[in-house]
Amino acid sequence: MAYLLKKNWWKWLCIALLVYTIIGGLLFPVPRLPILNETIRVLHFHVPMWFGMILVFTGSVIYGIKYLRSDNALFDVYSSQLANIGIAFGVLGILTGMVWANYTWGEPWSNDPKQNASAVSLLIYLAYFVLRNSIKDEQQRNRVSAVYNIFAYSLMIPLLFILPRMSDSLHPGNGGNPAFNVYDLDSNLRMVFYPAVIGWTLLGYWIASINIRLSLTQENLENAS
Amino acid sequence: MLKLIELIKKDLTVDWRQQNPVSGILLYLASTIFTSYMAFKGLITIEVWNALFWIIILFTAITAISRSFVQEERRSIYYFFLAKPHILIIAKLIYSLAYLLVLAILALFLFAIFFGNPVNDYPLFSLNLILGCIGLSSAFTMISAISFKSNNRSIMMAILGFPVIIPVLILAISNSAKILNQTIWSQIQGNMLTMISVDVIIIALTFILFPFTWRS
Repeated sequence: MAYLLKKNWWKWLCIALLVYTIIGGLLFPVPRLPILNETIRVLHFHVPMWFGMILVFTGSVIYGIKYLRSDNALFDVYSSQLANIGIAFGVLGILTGMVWANYTWGEPWSNDPKQNASAVSLLIYLAYFVLRNSIKDEQQRNRVSAVYNIFAYSLMIPLLFILPRMSDSLHPGNGGNPAFNVYDLDSNLRMVFYPAVIGWTLLGYWIASINIRLSLTQENLENAS
Repeated sequence: MLKLIELIKKDLTVDWRQQNPVSGILLYLASTIFTSYMAFKGLITIEVWNALFWIIILFTAITAISRSFVQEERRSIYYFFLAKPHILIIAKLIYSLAYLLVLAILALFLFAIFFGNPVNDYPLFSLNLILGCIGLSSAFTMISAISFKSNNRSIMMAILGFPVIIPVLILAISNSAKILNQTIWSQIQGNMLTMISVDVIIIALTFILFPFTWRS
């Protein structure tokens, strides 16, 4: 994060990748699949939200661990702002997913394990912010919220593996959805999808870095006055 | 080791002397079971029995264990000099597990009276119950240590605890539903192993992270 705050090249990369994603995602040829049809283009805007969310939360946990090891308040700012962006990604992922599911599966929420897992991870991080707001003493707040962050994240990861075993998923990859599995092999989609994941994740870190600067500046102003 | 036993003994004595909270939680258990008996009259199948049983265990656990650090508020300063946080958390884990197991056995007994007793395979059912109680009690002990530092503890306990406990709870519920439906061991072996590993993860995390919430 410290490196990302200083350098700029990755922001240009992010813009380039996202422009490519939007143009490529909307215009490139896509495989014609039953049920999915043209809605498969949402792939580039929905699935990267989850990749982005998990990657951003992972960053948040890493800074949580660093905070506990060093007691440096800077790491707590990093950790909480990354978690903030993770929630935004999660909400966007759920919304885009519900729109997509409404057209392909017939209903916005169908008790799918992946939907449930995402709802749980949102609950965890919303609770994380309620916890932060309910502790007054700053050092204690930082430490306790870092502890909860690590504890909850490490239980969320097994959940992602347990839930799909409990019931069938409508998502591709499990539960037997042959029509969906085809796109795993489609090189046209892959050409846009992987850049899209990197682009959206970089955008998340970009927004987080602006938030981090803002809250550090506010802190400095408070200390100065 | 000696300190560990002393600390467990201390918790036991405290609960024994001020009987108010213990009798409170027993009454809580009895009245929730009786309320659900009135509400679910005639609707009880094995699946409903199972889900109801675990939900009541869940709520009893969160109510019983949320006290485990709150009651230490005035005493906590002495512990800094008396014991290392690692020993303290092990003592708390053992005590809350024992407490929850007693409550679970009582709940099973009351369930048998009101709703009938569908349990056939006692060894397997109690193994699953013990594994579930280990997960519930240790996760809630950790959450109780976290929410101890916040302002509104009872609400924090619930919103921090529920998302964290979901992996243990769904594994326990689905295992025990299968056990009640006469499943053989090899069919739930995988789930049992997953549950053991989740329990191990929870206990290891509690052990590592607790000292950070404690010193302040």
